[in-house]
Amino acid sequence: MIPVGSISSSPILPPSIAPVAPSITETGGSAPAAGGFGQMLDRLVSPVEQQQAQADRITQQVLLGDSGQLHQSVIAMQEASLSFSLMVQVRNKLVESYQELMRMQA
Amino acid sequence: MNLLSGIGVTADALAAQKTRLDIVAQNIANAQTTRTSAGGPYQRQIVSFETELVQQGGGPALQGVKVAGIAPDRSPGQQVYNPQHPDADSSGFVTMPNVNVAYEMVDMITASRAYEANLAFAKDARQLAEKTLEIGK
Repeated sequence: MIPVGSISSSPILPPSIAPVAPSITETGGSAPAAGGFGQMLDRLVSPVEQQQAQADRITQQVLLGDSGQLHQSVIAMQEASLSFSLMVQVRNKLVESYQELMRMQA
Repeated sequence: MNLLSGIGVTADALAAQKTRLDIVAQNIANAQTTRTSAGGPYQRQIVSFETELVQQGGGPALQGVKVAGIAPDRSPGQQVYNPQHPDADSSGFVTMPNVNVAYEMVDMITASRAYEANLAFAKDARQLAEKTLEIGK
């Protein structure tokens, strides 16, 4: 078993955390090819955003009387809502795995 | 993204049935119209459908439906003796539109039921997708 003292002792933890923090800001800021966490979230959010914009556009056309396709508007909204739910599901999984990782040091 | 499977076909069908309902409304509205821009009484219009390939991402190409055309019913209209009518011919007969309101009502009910059936599918597709998302919960 690991002695409690080795975990709570401050000289071990700061060096292990310190190099990680700058590397996250580096990948998020300069290197998109590395595929950082921020880019992953971006890839997740942008299709959902597109779908919502499309639903908005179709609904606006129906409301303005440019299109009589009421069902298209509702279907587009439903698709946007579903892709949003899917995004929330993926986010929940990400947060769950992050928390799991954080629990490793406890 | 194609989260709601088969919804493209259903959307096509809803649009097609809506066109059919619009034409039924037009036929009923013009059941007494004896004068048109083309001359003569109004002629009943009939909608016909045809299949259309709907491409969807990652699935088989499905056959959707679209309106093939709106053609007039060529059967003769009823002759009514009404000499006071402005559109009466020299012997006093008026040619009425060949619209039978009873037929149109039947067509209207059929089209609304078909529309409802497609709506039921749309609802089912949504429920399936929501249930699938519940796997992760």
